[in-house]
Amino acid sequence: MSIAPKPSSALLIVGHGSTQNPDSSTPYFEHAEEIRRRGLFAEVHCCFWKEEPSMREAFYLFDSDEIYVVPDFISEGYFTQDVIPRELQLSGPTTVLRGKTFHYCLPVGVHPSMTGLILRRAREVAPHADPAATTLIITGHGTGFNANSTKAIRDQVALIAASGAGYAAVLDAFMEETPFIADWDKLAPTPNVVVVPFFISDGLHSYQDIPVLLGIEAEIGPAASQREVFRHNPHALRGKSLFYSSAIGTEPLIAEVILDLVSDFDITHKH
Amino acid sequence: MTIFPKFVKSAIISEKLRSAIAAGIHQIGEIEIRSFDSNSRFKLCHVADVDGHEGSGGEDLTIYQGPGGAREIALEGADGSNRFLKAQENLRRGWVMLLDTVEDLRLALDQFYPACVGLWLAEQEGTLEVEHLRDKLRRQSGMYQRVRVLSDEALQKLVGQTCSSVVPCARRLMWQLDANTPLLPSAASCRSGIPDGTPAGEAIPLLCREACNHFVAECLAASKAAASPASGHSRPA
Ligand code: SF4
Repeated sequence: MSIAPKPSSALLIVGHGSTQNPDSSTPYFEHAEEIRRRGLFAEVHCCFWKEEPSMREAFYLFDSDEIYVVPDFISEGYFTQDVIPRELQLSGPTTVLRGKTFHYCLPVGVHPSMTGLILRRAREVAPHADPAATTLIITGHGTGFNANSTKAIRDQVALIAASGAGYAAVLDAFMEETPFIADWDKLAPTPNVVVVPFFISDGLHSYQDIPVLLGIEAEIGPAASQREVFRHNPHALRGKSLFYSSAIGTEPLIAEVILDLVSDFDITHKH
Repeated sequence: MTIFPKFVKSAIISEKLRSAIAAGIHQIGEIEIRSFDSNSRFKLCHVADVDGHEGSGGEDLTIYQGPGGAREIALEGADGSNRFLKAQENLRRGWVMLLDTVEDLRLALDQFYPACVGLWLAEQEGTLEVEHLRDKLRRQSGMYQRVRVLSDEALQKLVGQTCSSVVPCARRLMWQLDANTPLLPSAASCRSGIPDGTPAGEAIPLLCREACNHFVAECLAASKAAASPASGHSRPA
């Protein structure tokens, strides 16, 4: 979907961020830069829960009077329903605050085009693996902390299974809930296995925790060198070829999803 | 509960920045700002490298064209430490950044010192909202709710420890514990947000309008430690 330029509006991408892992906010800035490059908005800024600028500081970034807020989060949940509205003082889809109008869009992870992004990521990471001999596993955190993210993963599994992409099996698996990602080799019936983490950025889970559960790493290592994890595909492990992708949110096409969410907002709330 | 005042509709932030530079502003945090061609092009470097980029030994400086490298420069200190507080006084040296527009200057400064230009302009115009610590702690939810139990004494101690740690954050603390309880005088609470030795009219001060989330995370750690002194810290996000 293409979006009409909005020269008097601004875009605010809201991310989680991290005080531990300097790489984790890189994708947000990359998406912002890509959108800025296209000249569609008067201003494009990012703000964070754990990093600077904070959500309340973000108010001071803008000249524009109309601001589209897109949560770069993987699902609806605590952050999109509690923290972001509270911090940005949003009371509904559109909130007028101190002379500025804020439009609160849906989070990135729930957009239907995420399915295509997962398939693209899976093909990129294992370009020569025959889908008929390959299991695609979408993995996330699990546990009751955010039931919506578990549901988002299961929804994607169902969509991909029905998409005709040709994978022998498409499965969900979790760090802290059954089916466990640690059992990937038992879950997957095929010689090739592609694992795509359904996270918005490469943080401690995708750099450190999941590689240990998969058996790629013997123990949790330092965060700084963890990008190496993604560079050695395939991993010959437990009698199978394992292809491990970086987090889905690092995909450059997320910028398109962010723009789609703005378009969707206008279609739903402005017409 | 803080109520924000009605904002004065203002000219564009970038133009105000340009005017401020024309009027003599040439520093923000550890960064020197130089302007050229009637304040239409700009050059940034670490204040300690000013002589370098004036021509004596400047060959060693890495040149960045455009604001794109600002985040990378600001990411880690010279010792490789993670600068998640961008006002920490350990900005890497050895670079010079050339910016062709005032918009690029603003983008670069927003990467080096997030939102600090806008915060300062709002302060100048009397529209900056300061939020006191108790308000910030009161609105925490989920597991962060327990920070509300911390005593004034514990919070005053945390200001000294967190805002003035090994590599101090350079922001000026504008908030108090609450409207009636100022911060106790300390190295942290007395900072001006402007580097020592720089006259007030020559630098954009780095302002802290409410406790950052790193501070709140430290409050959480302190409240957990107070509840069970034997337990260690859990891994933060
Ligand atoms: S609370 Fe403000 S002054 Fe203290 S560390 Fe955080 S940003 Fe710096």
